[in-house]
Amino acid sequence: MSLTPKTSLWDKLVWSWKPESNREAGSSIVSNFLLHWFPNRVTLKSLAFSYSLYLGTITFALFLILTLSGIVLMFLYVPSVERAYWSIKDIDFAVSFGWLLRRTHRIAAHLMVAMVFLHMFRVFLTGSYKKGSAEGSKRPFNWILGVSLLVLTLLLSFTGYLLPWDQLAFWAITVGTSIAGAVPFIGEQMRQFLLGGTIIGQNTLIRFYVLHVAFLPLILFGVSIWHMWRIRKDGGLAVVEQIREEAAESPPDLPRKTKTYSILGIAKGTTVHVKEPSLLNKNNSVPSSPFLTFRTLTIVLLTLIFTIGLALIIPAPLEEAANPEVTPNPAKAPWYFLGLQELVGYSALIGGVIIPGLVIFGLGLIPFLDKEQKYIGRWFTNSAGRKWSIFGAIWGFVFSFVCMGIGVSMPVRELFPGIESQFFFDIVNPATLLLLTFVALYYLVLRITGSTRLAATATFSGFIVSFILLTYMGTALRGPNWDFYWPWQSWPEHPIQF
Amino acid sequence: MKKINKKEITLLLLSSILFLGLGIAAMIKDTTPDWTYYQAEFRQIISENFGSVDLNSIPHGIQQIWIKELNSSDRCITCHQGIGWKGLENVEHPYRTHPNPELFTNHPIEKFGCTICHGGQGLALTEYDAHGFVKHWEEPLLGKTIGTEYDPRNPPTLGEIKCNFCHRYERETAGMELINHGKKLVREKACKVCHVINGDGGSLGPDLTHEGEKHAEGFDFSNFATEQTTILNWHINHFQTPNNVVPSTIMPEMNFQTKDAVALSMLVMSWRDNSELPLEYVPGLNRKDIQTAEEVEEERQIREGDGAFFVENSCFICHSIKGFNIKSPTEKGPDLSYAPDDVRARFSRDLEDFIFEPTGTMKIIFESQIQLSDEQKWEAIEKIRKAYNIVTNKSDEDTQVKKHN
Repeated sequence: MSLTPKTSLWDKLVWSWKPESNREAGSSIVSNFLLHWFPNRVTLKSLAFSYSLYLGTITFALFLILTLSGIVLMFLYVPSVERAYWSIKDIDFAVSFGWLLRRTHRIAAHLMVAMVFLHMFRVFLTGSYKKGSAEGSKRPFNWILGVSLLVLTLLLSFTGYLLPWDQLAFWAITVGTSIAGAVPFIGEQMRQFLLGGTIIGQNTLIRFYVLHVAFLPLILFGVSIWHMWRIRKDGGLAVVEQIREEAAESPPDLPRKTKTYSILGIAKGTTVHVKEPSLLNKNNSVPSSPFLTFRTLTIVLLTLIFTIGLALIIPAPLEEAANPEVTPNPAKAPWYFLGLQELVGYSALIGGVIIPGLVIFGLGLIPFLDKEQKYIGRWFTNSAGRKWSIFGAIWGFVFSFVCMGIGVSMPVRELFPGIESQFFFDIVNPATLLLLTFVALYYLVLRITGSTRLAATATFSGFIVSFILLTYMGTALRGPNWDFYWPWQSWPEHPIQF
Repeated sequence: MKKINKKEITLLLLSSILFLGLGIAAMIKDTTPDWTYYQAEFRQIISENFGSVDLNSIPHGIQQIWIKELNSSDRCITCHQGIGWKGLENVEHPYRTHPNPELFTNHPIEKFGCTICHGGQGLALTEYDAHGFVKHWEEPLLGKTIGTEYDPRNPPTLGEIKCNFCHRYERETAGMELINHGKKLVREKACKVCHVINGDGGSLGPDLTHEGEKHAEGFDFSNFATEQTTILNWHINHFQTPNNVVPSTIMPEMNFQTKDAVALSMLVMSWRDNSELPLEYVPGLNRKDIQTAEEVEEERQIREGDGAFFVENSCFICHSIKGFNIKSPTEKGPDLSYAPDDVRARFSRDLEDFIFEPTGTMKIIFESQIQLSDEQKWEAIEKIRKAYNIVTNKSDEDTQVKKHN
């Protein structure tokens, strides 16, 4: 089949294109503006499900679902404290497909937060933040773009949380913003800047609304485009480094460059392909069109099915209209902050400010702490990495457990009844203990193995386990008055009017 | 050239079909809400019972009563289409005629809607959501269903709680038996000695004016033996045995019967903040200017006796009538007590003559603002002469009205 234009209506409708030569496959990328996104050829290793799990693609697909459903919701939602709640009721009850739009938007938002985390876990665990040997690679920088995308995603989700203006929204934002208020010296100013006043009111709503529908999505879109563009500039997914390593071991028969030109006047510098011989050959790669386009379509479609399927089953909750005078018990932040809220229960300063600050800062620092340029693009580095990863996970499990155990059974204030200083309890509490155990874990593994990568892998695995445990604790095991309840214990029944 | 794996093509094909299936499922779910079934059934019932009715005149689609003043949109009539019909008294819900159509006289549905009297979630369009027995909706439908949870054989008419949201300032209201009983008990037991109610009372107990606004979090259920942890139940128990519910309380035990306790509980729960209601919705409010005792007495005097005629017909706006102690606020015209002399002096005519065929300002007034019948004109003449006699100390017999024949 050739690339000649289709004329009959039937041909246009059932158009399916099977390139019959590599040249045709390459031409399709050139002739379609959107497909410029993809390289001409893609390695089989990059294409493998087992390597990337397509978490980034899924995340971006979710972002597109959120954008589309969000734009329609903007026609229906009124960002005023008098109308917001009732416009959501109308979306749920009276608007055609309003219920589906809102449910889809909500599910996709939760999934996107989860996927961003998973994507970050994947990139770390495969060591994909490392520079590698490709010409012009700046993968460490792309990792930082990724961390900022994580923060942007959390902010987007958090700002959207307030918009339904129900009790859940109102008090989750109350808890969330009061965590910001725990920052020393500038905390209260920060909180008031977020709220546009001293309490959550119309000012807060319009602030969060504009951030949610315009400001943050535009920034997130821009940064994610940058993030994806950098992948091309960095010489593809990190797994390609393996091909480079193999090629270095056995010199290629005929080293040749696939490109000898750069796009003068349009792009600065040159691409990887101009500087070095191509690593790609018939055995290790396939044309992006149709292999990668087909795969992308499948992933996007599966994401859509999963999201809409869940939306058909799971209703989006809407609690009572926001009431500043009635505090629900327990008042909880959004789920991805509940690990933090659990730590805030021990100390607002350590749990709400120091630890999240260190986590974000530490995440950004990872590629600069671990500069070992080995085992790039391999899950858990190597067999030693797997072992230390399990060690770190167990370490994280045990100490998170110990930390939560102390938090539940031995309130520090009762251990030191004579001390009244808040500063003392900000320093001495289970959250500090948890933080110190992670510092200890890093230096312990570094000392034994002498490898920054292995130390980081162990610490990161511990962090993942700890994050999941704390989030589970804050979500499922904390009941009214932030009291501890076992999973099989029922919470006291909430009294109702009649 | 390599080919795409067959399995992957199958996966894409299957997921396309699945996606299509989800789309169809969503469309079916969205286009077949429960109310379409109810509306079809209603048409069926109408065509069976009233063959002559044009079915196209029955509204279809989502129906709502929007009341700007109450900031409410009640969509109940989407399913309850029969409430305004006569002759559907015995069909099943939700097609039945409203059981008390006489209530619509004072509570026209277009001014009140449904939920302000019944409770429930007016915006919702499924039975479960609309009747409001759902989590996170605090005002369920206060009908028999919920009443039977408190007394299966003789369910209390909890709906009266909603009535008293507006009727709280009335001493007694027809049809509100339990609330009336509660109000009577509040007076008999002198609750106001300790509690502020409607703005006045003692300070020993808490202010109860807005007790009905109190949220579940504000009640201590820790000493509660029964399973039914509801605010209504808390009040019922608390009225019967205050000490069992709140051990530290000084509220005395009054030996209330169950009916008393239920009535009082309903009453306190009805005491909600209705300050945002437009005043016209709140009966029993004094919405007049406050007058001093002298002003009230003055007004009473001029509204009684012979002078009342001139007050009722607005003559006194311009004319004082000294004979009946009526003072005009403006005194634009001459005192009517001297009219017989006045008219003769100014127009050289009799009073009777002038009243029936006035000139000048009075001609305009009698033609526009004050239109009197002939009988009223004779009454005016008679009363003016009476006033004339009073101010000139003549007896009535001296100046008998001479009727023109």
